[in-house]
Amino acid sequence: MNSDYRQARYEEDLLVERADSRKVEDNPLPSSIAREEAPKIPDLPKHEVVRYFNRLSQMNYGIDTGFYPLGSCTMKYNPKFTEKIASHSKATDLHPYQPEDMAQGTLEIMYELQELLAELGGMNAVSLQPAAGAHGEITGLMIAHQYHKDNDDERKEVILPDTAHGTNPASVSMLGYDLVEIPSEDGCVDIEALEEAAGDDTAAFMITNPNTLGLFEKDACQIAEIIHEAGGLLYYDGANLNAIMGKTDPGAMNFDIMHFNLHKTFSTPHGGGGPGSGPVGVTKEFASYLPVPIVEKDGGRYHLNYDLENSIGRVKGIYGNWLVLLKAYTYIKEKGKDGLEEAAERAVLNSNYLRKKLEPHLDLPYRELRKHEFVLSGKKMKDKGLKTTDLAKRLLDYGFHAPTIYFPQLVDEALMIEPTETETKETLDGFAEAVASIMEEDEEVIGEAPHNTAVGRVDETKAIRDSVLSYKMRKEE
Amino acid sequence: MSAEKEMLDLLEYEDKEELFQDIPELIRTDLDIPEGLSEREVMVEVKNKLEKNKDLNELTSFLGGGIYNHYIPAAVGEIIGKSEFYTSYTPYQAEISQGLLQSLFEYQSLIAELTGLGAVNTSMYDYPTALAEAVLMSARISRKGRKFLIPENIHWEKDPVLKNYLRGKDIDIEKVKFDEVGRIDKEDLKSKLGEEVFGFYVETPNVFGVIEEDVDTFKDLKEDNDCVLVAGTDPVLLSLMTLPSNWGADIVVGESQPLGIPPSYGGPTVGIFASDEKYIRKMPGRIIGETEDSNGKRAYCMTLQTREQHIRRERATSNICTNQSLMALASAVYTHIKGGLGLEDLARKNYKKAHNLAERIDQIEGFEAPYFDSEFYKEFTVKTPEGSKEIFERCAEKDVLPGIPLDEKEKFNSLPDILLTAVTEMNTDEDIDLLLETLEEVVG
Repeated sequence: MNSDYRQARYEEDLLVERADSRKVEDNPLPSSIAREEAPKIPDLPKHEVVRYFNRLSQMNYGIDTGFYPLGSCTMKYNPKFTEKIASHSKATDLHPYQPEDMAQGTLEIMYELQELLAELGGMNAVSLQPAAGAHGEITGLMIAHQYHKDNDDERKEVILPDTAHGTNPASVSMLGYDLVEIPSEDGCVDIEALEEAAGDDTAAFMITNPNTLGLFEKDACQIAEIIHEAGGLLYYDGANLNAIMGKTDPGAMNFDIMHFNLHKTFSTPHGGGGPGSGPVGVTKEFASYLPVPIVEKDGGRYHLNYDLENSIGRVKGIYGNWLVLLKAYTYIKEKGKDGLEEAAERAVLNSNYLRKKLEPHLDLPYRELRKHEFVLSGKKMKDKGLKTTDLAKRLLDYGFHAPTIYFPQLVDEALMIEPTETETKETLDGFAEAVASIMEEDEEVIGEAPHNTAVGRVDETKAIRDSVLSYKMRKEE
Repeated sequence: MSAEKEMLDLLEYEDKEELFQDIPELIRTDLDIPEGLSEREVMVEVKNKLEKNKDLNELTSFLGGGIYNHYIPAAVGEIIGKSEFYTSYTPYQAEISQGLLQSLFEYQSLIAELTGLGAVNTSMYDYPTALAEAVLMSARISRKGRKFLIPENIHWEKDPVLKNYLRGKDIDIEKVKFDEVGRIDKEDLKSKLGEEVFGFYVETPNVFGVIEEDVDTFKDLKEDNDCVLVAGTDPVLLSLMTLPSNWGADIVVGESQPLGIPPSYGGPTVGIFASDEKYIRKMPGRIIGETEDSNGKRAYCMTLQTREQHIRRERATSNICTNQSLMALASAVYTHIKGGLGLEDLARKNYKKAHNLAERIDQIEGFEAPYFDSEFYKEFTVKTPEGSKEIFERCAEKDVLPGIPLDEKEKFNSLPDILLTAVTEMNTDEDIDLLLETLEEVVG
């Protein structure tokens, strides 16, 4: 197989480098606060700026460029009609403080999205305010915190399995909780360890199901029982919801609080890191704890309700990432019941098919059947004196984005692969062939990869050592 | 044979349902949502819903309060609409993501130029969460005491966000009064600083649109008290206003929405977060660094990742993962399209428009503008002769939105009835005449 992918290569100086020093003139501000030296921002013809960013875009890889099997990130095709609808001036040119009567369309869509998500999660009420998955997590923990506080129940610990996403432990400590991490057994929650860890100090247990190994936690009900018995709340990290739509839902698994990642499950673009959206769903018991405002319907009119009895208050300014909400809503409307279930089925089929195709080349820890993603070990690379990183970098040469690597940490030299439902068999076959082909290549070719991208292997150690975080911090050579 | 059948065959399954055999029957559910629609149908349906909105092009709006209506050159949408950018993920694989990395480095560089602080992250969710993260970072910088001071006149949405982020942390927030001209009451600030205080927050322009003039005092107070100074400000105004780094700011937060991002009913926007270079290891969020590739060619990558949740887990500086990168890219493109002179010109224009409007509102009987007799930028307070909420509603009936009625939001210790009025280059002379006429009419 040929690695005939070639990414564009331009050597583009920064635009900020092109600015000359100059003084600010005609400054209306009082002299005590008037800026003297102008910021280094050049004045260039528009065409130059457009050309610059256009060239940069050609040195970037998106889902629209090719296969992007980044585990845990659900890099599926982002429909274009959702982008189009979200650029409508009736969506973009709205001020958050304009009267509710002038935003009835938006409020209606937000209300319906709350309802749709509640159904998809098996929850009773939803807040659209959180801006990302991790933001949803911390919102969920705030709800748990407030709930226990209202019950005069000072609980100090949150339990996580060792397969948890990094955001889970980070959210836990950000809220001042002590983290209790329990080990996995055969890739799933060790029930005995959980029983031992759960107790009077357990505020909550957080888990994603299917978990980060792509395994369905079949003891979900037992887990819920143990945590509820201890008086703790059950939090569902919705990052992997794509695998189970129409099959089961967090409500059925007895979770109390959850978040959705609209930028994963509902296909809104990741935007090079964001914006996303992380709505939080809760069961009836916790509905009054949600952040305010939430959208309510009163006859034929929609309004923002700021008055929820036990509300934690706010986690973000305004109402949430509205344009992202709109895209997710449009996607859900187009897919509908059957389309979403089919998405889950196809995602799981693609994942298992690719797993099977890759098993001859790389090691698969734990049992076979996975959901939307699977984790392989790249430890065979060690025989070549190489690492998983090298395999990942070499895959770029074949025109594929690399999988998530070195996560979850309990798998040695991990490669976490999530093909998603929008890829064809041919693409999956091509990826499997690329891996097979790389395993046969010379160590040197792999170890010095990538060769076909805009730049060669990037020196991340130097980046840390020098810590040049802006043009201003660049030291003259 | 269909591709699906071939795939199932390889797995030795008859039916796709077998892929879900590991989900116990007990927890199986059916989805109760409508069947899907065609692309055409869904476009029509959603557009029909959106038609129920009245957008800013159909209104004469002077609303601000953190979100401003500015003109966005078409080139901005064109660039952020490139699917190589918007369909990419966080640039974990630097070699294949140089375009986004360099673009975000441009953004960091621009914010550094505007604030004077060299270390900038690629974005927080918005201004309120950026402030909350800044307070948490201040607590990591200074181990002194457990109290942080904020102005009592802080935006009605920042206060509750901050409270939530500090839940469970051993940090107390104390509020500093404002004086009769809407600035921080320096005497009150001085009296509240002390051994227990590890940092304080100054906002300029603040929620009233008021600009602090005697900023050097903040630097002195910070140094005398050996604590952290967090400054909140406006990126466009910074093209004319003295650098926060000049008056001692260790961390600068703000909202980048005025730089090329539509109001969008409040989201997505971008929280600006910049810090003094000496604190880079304590910063939250993604940061892009400049380095070289294996051939010695300049290259970019995410850096200092050992601060972050995916590496450091419970010891990370923040839980943030997905941020607002594409919006930061929009701000970078917008700023470069405007250019340095263009940005300054915009700030100057908005400043002059606002001062002109305040003067004219002030001439209407019963109105006082600005209510706070202080320097301001593009937003100011208007004291109304009757309830500002009622005046707002009467104007809104005529599709004029004269400003945000503060009595509806927060009174900040029983102020009179006030409208918070913002002006941008989008408000034409005709808009301004219409606003004045309408105000006269509705109180007349």
